[in-house]
Amino acid sequence: MVLLDNITSVSSSADYLPIGIQLIFAAGFVAFMIAFSAWVGPKRKTSDKLQTFTSGIPSHGDARHPMAIKYFLVAILFVLFDVEVIFFYPYAVNFQDFAADITMKWHTFYAVLMFVGCFLVGFIYIIKKGALKWED
Amino acid sequence: MQTNYFILMHHELIIAITIMLLLVIKVGSDKLSNQLVANVTNGLLLASLVLGFIVQPEGNVFGDMFHTDGFALLQKNILVAGTLIISLQASTWLKDYEHTAEFYILLLSTLLGMCFMISSRHFLMFYLSLELSTIPLAALANFDLHLKRSSEAALKLIISSAFSSGLMLLGISFLYGTTGTLSFGEVASAIQLNTPLQLFAFVLIFAGFGFKISAVPFHLWTADVYEGSPVAVTSYLSVISKGAVLFVFITVLFNVFALYAHSWYYLIVIVSLFTMVIGNLFALRQTNIKRFLAFSSISQVGFILIGLSGGTHTSAASVVYFIVVYIFSNLGAFGVIALVQGLTGKENINDYKGFYLNNKMLSWMLGIALFSLAGIPPVAGFFGKFFLLLSGAEKGAYWLIAIAAINMVISLYYYLNVVKNIFIDKSDTSIEKLPIAIQPRIAMIICVIGVVGSGLCGGLYQYIFDLVK
Repeated sequence: MVLLDNITSVSSSADYLPIGIQLIFAAGFVAFMIAFSAWVGPKRKTSDKLQTFTSGIPSHGDARHPMAIKYFLVAILFVLFDVEVIFFYPYAVNFQDFAADITMKWHTFYAVLMFVGCFLVGFIYIIKKGALKWED
Repeated sequence: MQTNYFILMHHELIIAITIMLLLVIKVGSDKLSNQLVANVTNGLLLASLVLGFIVQPEGNVFGDMFHTDGFALLQKNILVAGTLIISLQASTWLKDYEHTAEFYILLLSTLLGMCFMISSRHFLMFYLSLELSTIPLAALANFDLHLKRSSEAALKLIISSAFSSGLMLLGISFLYGTTGTLSFGEVASAIQLNTPLQLFAFVLIFAGFGFKISAVPFHLWTADVYEGSPVAVTSYLSVISKGAVLFVFITVLFNVFALYAHSWYYLIVIVSLFTMVIGNLFALRQTNIKRFLAFSSISQVGFILIGLSGGTHTSAASVVYFIVVYIFSNLGAFGVIALVQGLTGKENINDYKGFYLNNKMLSWMLGIALFSLAGIPPVAGFFGKFFLLLSGAEKGAYWLIAIAAINMVISLYYYLNVVKNIFIDKSDTSIEKLPIAIQPRIAMIICVIGVVGSGLCGGLYQYIFDLVK
């Protein structure tokens, strides 16, 4: 009987009301923001304003235009190494505590050395592959 | 304490060392012999496999995030063995390939992720290792660099897996919000019945798993990705990656969501019904042999889900046993397909007409593998499916078993259709006699021994069953 009680209470639709409200709120918020800004916002269009703004450079063509893969490659490698650097922060923050502790001192240093070694090999790999060579 | 890490994580360490070694070799020399790279990898995988059977530690590290025991080690051994077979089979394709080292680095990265995934006892660790095991796979799917459909496969795989990860993360965050913890053990004890948000979280996590194992409402990426990827990657996706996710699924279902057992029972029964029926119906109409195996693997997942629905030790054992059998049978079939595709470029079922005429050994290999996939008695596939259905029947849902049996009959049609093409049909343009190199030959012998042996050797199931407890 207890089992049956649980089944009925789990599948009671009233219990799902908070989830439904959350979904409605999520969708409603998006719709509201778009509609509200379109309704309230002032619309004074001039030909200069309607032009695509690309940091002061006159625009030409549209965005669906084949681009050299090297832009993408440099960008993605930048992001990658940028993220790698973040992993040093926990070590840097705790550095003084580690230096005071005689057992942890070398332990953590080897861990960081291993991490640096790993991504250094990756770095040498991309250089050898010519991923950062700009001129063909 | 220091040595403890090394012994508990020996699978992961050997794989990680292999990855670093390959990277250093690749960076160090310009002219790299593909054979050397393959041999180094195969040797270290073999070492890891042997070590996995000899050294069987048990314990937790990293603040109980990482747990290992006999059952986890068995699962890792299964995956390493499967990867080794795939690596041997791929040697025909990799012989003249320019990015062999990269192929192995990415392949082993996914294997590393899967090993961590099996051992994880924390949702954060689990999610990280799941990503480690899927993102390199998308890169691998693109490894037929000159083919457009290979890029298409990679893009479809990365988008669908990103979507499924998103769903799963939402589920995990709901779980964290309601229980305040992410560790498997603590979540299991903090979960309460009558909390709709937790049930919703479970459904989201289930959907994430469903994508990875391509259960039916989430199966749409499977056929395109399987068709576009190189054969080695397709076989890896269909066997190893699915197996790993299913292993973790067992833990998540039986340990973390044990309290919701009567809710997920119906969910799994419905999904498995759809998976079997739709997988079968689509498989009937396929002409490309890789697409055909994609849909057949979908319907096999339906059978696995029936086994899971039992919810006891027996069903965990039967699922693991079936995956062992499935690895041998599916890799047996993919081994032959890889060879044919690598040497002739043919991958349609019609191309296999009259295959028996010139290639006796390959035909028998493919035939045995297909018989095992169909579940015909002397080979292991029958016993695998038998145990799955037996554990599914424990809850008394005999109508489910009846529908599964009907589906097995339907699946016989398309498996035997391929066998008919190979053995009976005649063709003027049948495939010439193909030379088989030493590595694929070894892989093939392992598969035949596996397919026949794992069924006849009854101790294997007992061994797995004892480990589950």
